[in-house]
Amino acid sequence: MRRIATLALILLLAPSLKAHAAAIVGKSAPALELRDADGKTARLDAYKGKYVVLEWVNPQCPFVRKHYGSGNMQGLQKKYTEKGVVWLSILSSAPGKEGYMKAGEAREWVAEQKAAPTRFLLDPKGKVGRAYGAKTTPHIFVIDPKGTLIYNGAIDDKPSTDKADIETAKNYLAAALDESMAGEKVATAATQPYGCRVKY
Amino acid sequence: MSRRSVRIASALILCLPLTIGSTAAAASENVQVRLRSAVDAVSAGAPFTVLIHFQIRPGWHIYWKNPGDSGLPPRVTWMLPRGFQAGPIEWPVPERLLAEGLMSYGYTREATLPVRITPPATLGPDSVRIAGALEWLECKEACLAGSSALRLSLPVSPQLVKGDSDITARSRLPVSPDGWSLSAQAGSRAIALDFTPPRGITPKGAYFFVDQPLVTEHAAPQRFQRTRTGYRLTLEPAANASGNLARLSGVLEIEGSGRMKSGSAIQVDVPVVPGDPAPAPAPSTPREWPVAATALALAFAVGLLIFVRRRSASTRT
Repeated sequence: MRRIATLALILLLAPSLKAHAAAIVGKSAPALELRDADGKTARLDAYKGKYVVLEWVNPQCPFVRKHYGSGNMQGLQKKYTEKGVVWLSILSSAPGKEGYMKAGEAREWVAEQKAAPTRFLLDPKGKVGRAYGAKTTPHIFVIDPKGTLIYNGAIDDKPSTDKADIETAKNYLAAALDESMAGEKVATAATQPYGCRVKY
Repeated sequence: MSRRSVRIASALILCLPLTIGSTAAAASENVQVRLRSAVDAVSAGAPFTVLIHFQIRPGWHIYWKNPGDSGLPPRVTWMLPRGFQAGPIEWPVPERLLAEGLMSYGYTREATLPVRITPPATLGPDSVRIAGALEWLECKEACLAGSSALRLSLPVSPQLVKGDSDITARSRLPVSPDGWSLSAQAGSRAIALDFTPPRGITPKGAYFFVDQPLVTEHAAPQRFQRTRTGYRLTLEPAANASGNLARLSGVLEIEGSGRMKSGSAIQVDVPVVPGDPAPAPAPSTPREWPVAATALALAFAVGLLIFVRRRSASTRT
């Protein structure tokens, strides 16, 4: 009887121990369907056969400002989109929360920053952010041409708001793309992301 | 020279006009920082503690050494006189700051972070200047990067100065787990931290602040239960945990009674047994439940009997 009760308790409590959705390295990346800043719908499965980078963004966040203010993020966007990589910047700030932008404001921000993502996606309900378990801005996900997640984590290994750190940091996103494109295994496939909390 | 060293250097230049003043304050909009000393004077070879004190505007917070799902811990670059050495920041037990399903570990209102300074074996007569550049992240809804110069001047005393042993108690630092028995097991589904406190401590709950990245899902609930030998906390592994965790380290905060005051905490750093933990054996007083149930049933039966007899009595009259 006690055993049955224990089992029932375990079954009752089990879901609470695995309640957090997340994108898991080595598994298929969660589906993604969002409007972009031009009002067009973007779907992840439309990019099968290509590498896809997801970059969570919030223009007000000092960590995002570090990577845009220095030109680091734009440089990575240009370098890899020229190699055929699809780069999706995603804004999950809810209306009224820090960093929230309407489509027009987002287009202006992208132009002003001279940012070069393939598309800038709006996720005001946080649906895609939650499905991926996006925690910070920036938070980076890299998906291979088969649709498998090959990197989840920080942009680099120097958690700070200091632009001076970029020069000496190891960029995990670039490393994941370079290694995978060269047919190698991604050496560092998961890290703890650093930045501001995503303002769901 | 990197931009940071320029900033640190300029922060230190700001300290120069300071002569002998024992404290210095600096301000950002939301956070005020002071460097204080736990001693009035320094003596050769005797380690002492300085305290980085943060006064934080209500609603704002700064971060613990593991900030959790987001954020950044404060960091300090010391500039000390020749022969002096600074230890690492000692971190008081943090608070849990849960927002929109994401967990941060940090401090609100105020925080005092002690740092141990060791002077050289011989000292001249001149007063000692302790300086540093402090950087931190302060967040409310939005986050701002803060930085300030720390400076402190202390006279040199030929006699051994009074110690500062009460710092630990005042700063809510976790204590070493003397007399505790601790063990951990980690698999892909769950991490179990089993612990048995020394006699006289009866935890009513517990929370584990992991200090390693990608080990636990910070925002997930932690399940506390009594076991046959002590207590168990069951933690959710991080979604992208590496799967070969060698040690589990962090701070175990105890809500309880007995010798340990509520909210006290111990340092944890234990080797990990690989594999998902089996359900913990139930407490050694399993008879309590059947006994309680029988008592309850008996009480109910007696009550019913009295009720029925009274009713039949009242219908008779």
